[in-house]
Amino acid sequence: MAWFYVLCAAIVEVFWVIGLRYASTALEWIGTVIAIIFSFYFIIKSCEKLPSGTVYAVFTGSGAAAIVLVDIIFFDAAFSLPQALLIGLIIIGVIGIKLTTSPEPEGKGD
Amino acid sequence: MAWFILIIAGLLETFGIAMINRLTNKRNWQTVVLLIFGFGSSLILLSYALQTIPMGTGYAIWTGIGVVGGALVGMICYRESKDWRRIMFITIVLCSAIGLKMVS
Repeated sequence: MAWFYVLCAAIVEVFWVIGLRYASTALEWIGTVIAIIFSFYFIIKSCEKLPSGTVYAVFTGSGAAAIVLVDIIFFDAAFSLPQALLIGLIIIGVIGIKLTTSPEPEGKGD
Repeated sequence: MAWFILIIAGLLETFGIAMINRLTNKRNWQTVVLLIFGFGSSLILLSYALQTIPMGTGYAIWTGIGVVGGALVGMICYRESKDWRRIMFITIVLCSAIGLKMVS
């Protein structure tokens, strides 16, 4: 469940990064702020079970990868080989972090 | 000056992560306020620094300080794992995220 929260935080992050970039009306800014609040809520929830250093690295890495993918798919940004390789490395790194993290670290039980 | 402000922004981000940690141990409003102050001021300083520093570079450095700072705070103050594999994979994610922001 804790990993699911990290995933949610990264997905919601994509929305507020787009919001910060393109929001112009009051409604769009309110939506952006709500997305920021939700994304931090999910980070805090996942930090209850997982080490915060791990959560923040995974959140940042997958957020960065997701934003590049959204740019390419929805905003017609150019796609380059280095980007593809780096996204691949982030995925490998995140899987590695997940495999080497024990689900209930010391001092952070239920 | 912009570089100095960027580093301060990164440190405030690290402070925010430390407050997330504190919040999971002890839930109180004081910590919530400090958390909002940390990330809020960090983002304001980041956007100020990005007026002079190129976007990709500035954002990459800000992210880098946050991830490294967050990992160090966790290991030093909150007894998070110092396992070499954990550090290696965090480093891989960190370097790729920085690279991605530099080439984008």
